[in-house]
Amino acid sequence: MIEALLQALINGVIAGTILAVPALGFTAIFAVLNYPNFAIGALATVGAYAGWVGNTVFGLPMLGALPLAFGVAGLAGLAVQSLAVKPLEASGALMMAIASLAAGLVLENILRFGFGNDLRGFELPLLRDWRIGEFRIGPQQLENFGLALACMALLWAFLRFSRTGRAMRAVADNRDLALLRGVDPVRVALVTVIVGAGLAGMGGMLVGLDTSVDPLTGTRLVLSIFAAAVLGGLGSIPGAVAGAIAIGMAEELSVIVFNPAYRLVVGFVVILIVLTLRPAGLFGTRAS
Amino acid sequence: MTALTVQELTGGYAAADHVVKGVSFTVASGELVCVIGPNGAGKSTVLKLLTGLLRPRAGQVALDGRDITGQSPRVVIEAGMVLVPQERNVFGTLSVEENLAMGCFLDPGRAKARMTAVMDRFPLLAERRRQAARTMSGGQRQILAMGQALMSEPRVLLLDEPTAGLSPKAATDLFALVRATAETGVAVLMVEQNALQAMQISDRALVLVDGRNAHEGPAPALARDPAIRRLFLGGRGEGRMDATGTNRETSP
Repeated sequence: MIEALLQALINGVIAGTILAVPALGFTAIFAVLNYPNFAIGALATVGAYAGWVGNTVFGLPMLGALPLAFGVAGLAGLAVQSLAVKPLEASGALMMAIASLAAGLVLENILRFGFGNDLRGFELPLLRDWRIGEFRIGPQQLENFGLALACMALLWAFLRFSRTGRAMRAVADNRDLALLRGVDPVRVALVTVIVGAGLAGMGGMLVGLDTSVDPLTGTRLVLSIFAAAVLGGLGSIPGAVAGAIAIGMAEELSVIVFNPAYRLVVGFVVILIVLTLRPAGLFGTRAS
Repeated sequence: MTALTVQELTGGYAAADHVVKGVSFTVASGELVCVIGPNGAGKSTVLKLLTGLLRPRAGQVALDGRDITGQSPRVVIEAGMVLVPQERNVFGTLSVEENLAMGCFLDPGRAKARMTAVMDRFPLLAERRRQAARTMSGGQRQILAMGQALMSEPRVLLLDEPTAGLSPKAATDLFALVRATAETGVAVLMVEQNALQAMQISDRALVLVDGRNAHEGPAPALARDPAIRRLFLGGRGEGRMDATGTNRETSP
């Protein structure tokens, strides 16, 4: 039983780290644009397909396919923002969220028309799992974990050291003051959408590497992404990472106790508990 | 030399709602002018109209003779005028160093040199350079806000109630910093509720009532004016005044 628990925790940390990538995209968009972009799941799927095309059609290695996933999903995110969300900006965050949900459905069905409903797999070598005592870790699982960590490190460096990244943090913190210091919030919003959607795309590809790619690859993640962002505190970058790892572990642990079909319930339960006991989440301040 | 010239400035938050109704004044380089008046007189709105946060409906704003009426905040900063807002005037999640860098956002090439100069002037900021702004006290945050505004070497500094929420000691210290800033040659326009103390450190005072110029003149003279004391400082003639000079309503 102890071994099963530890194995679930290892799997949970890896799954949570991968989940953190799109959760970071979701929370970055929320922090700067002040609305929850529910197209994030479909954007993750766009990234998964872009990476898959890069890998299987153009023969790109994973390190080459990831930037492609970022770029294509980033552009799709920009299209969602410009065509569906921005025209409803004056109507408030709820309308923007609903518009993003609708745009996500459109994107999902465009992919369905283009690629069909079949499961697609990356061209990866078949490798045996590594055994460390009683525990098993797949080399691909570990590579995905490393890629997810690299994505997060790049995002951290971008936000910490680049002028645009600092401007994004400034707008997320205090939009009016950022405006008074010469930041163009419209430009920052566009960059944020591209970065946020791009992160979702990379997250979708990493999930596709771990499982397979189909039109619902990202959509299945939406609840977990939202739960991770709510748990960490909507708009909080460290919160999104902590929340995603916690959700990843909780989902894996739930499988030990409950039927795997109930795995999704974890997200709902976490959202319910957080909104009841600490609406601001672990690291957030906005909802309090 | 006149740095800021404002003529017949009119505007507000909605097209038909003019909070500010034809305000005019000037501020010279190295001069400290305080703007006082009752709540709702339009003091903070004047600052928003000057800096592009609100668009004036009429009037003219000139900086060193250059017309900047209705320009965006970016153009206003580039022209040399910076506002320190009353509330939320630092980026709480950013470090002191990052906050200062944001003050030089439009001219990043000079950020390093300017940061050294600002930290030399406010040693507290150097000591806390890596500290998140939200963890600082109210007085320390005001100093950071001032430092951030001075990063761009403005010719005109606008301060919106810089002592709001500060202890009397912190307010006195901050007023001394404001005075010292003016003496470096910067034109300072300060909106303040702490009217008596503000007038004690200012060269001139402008009293706004209902969005219009009501009184204007040398600050010490206005501070002694029984009418001003009665109307805005809560005193009756020369008599009543509390120690801090806080603006209090007088019972009828």
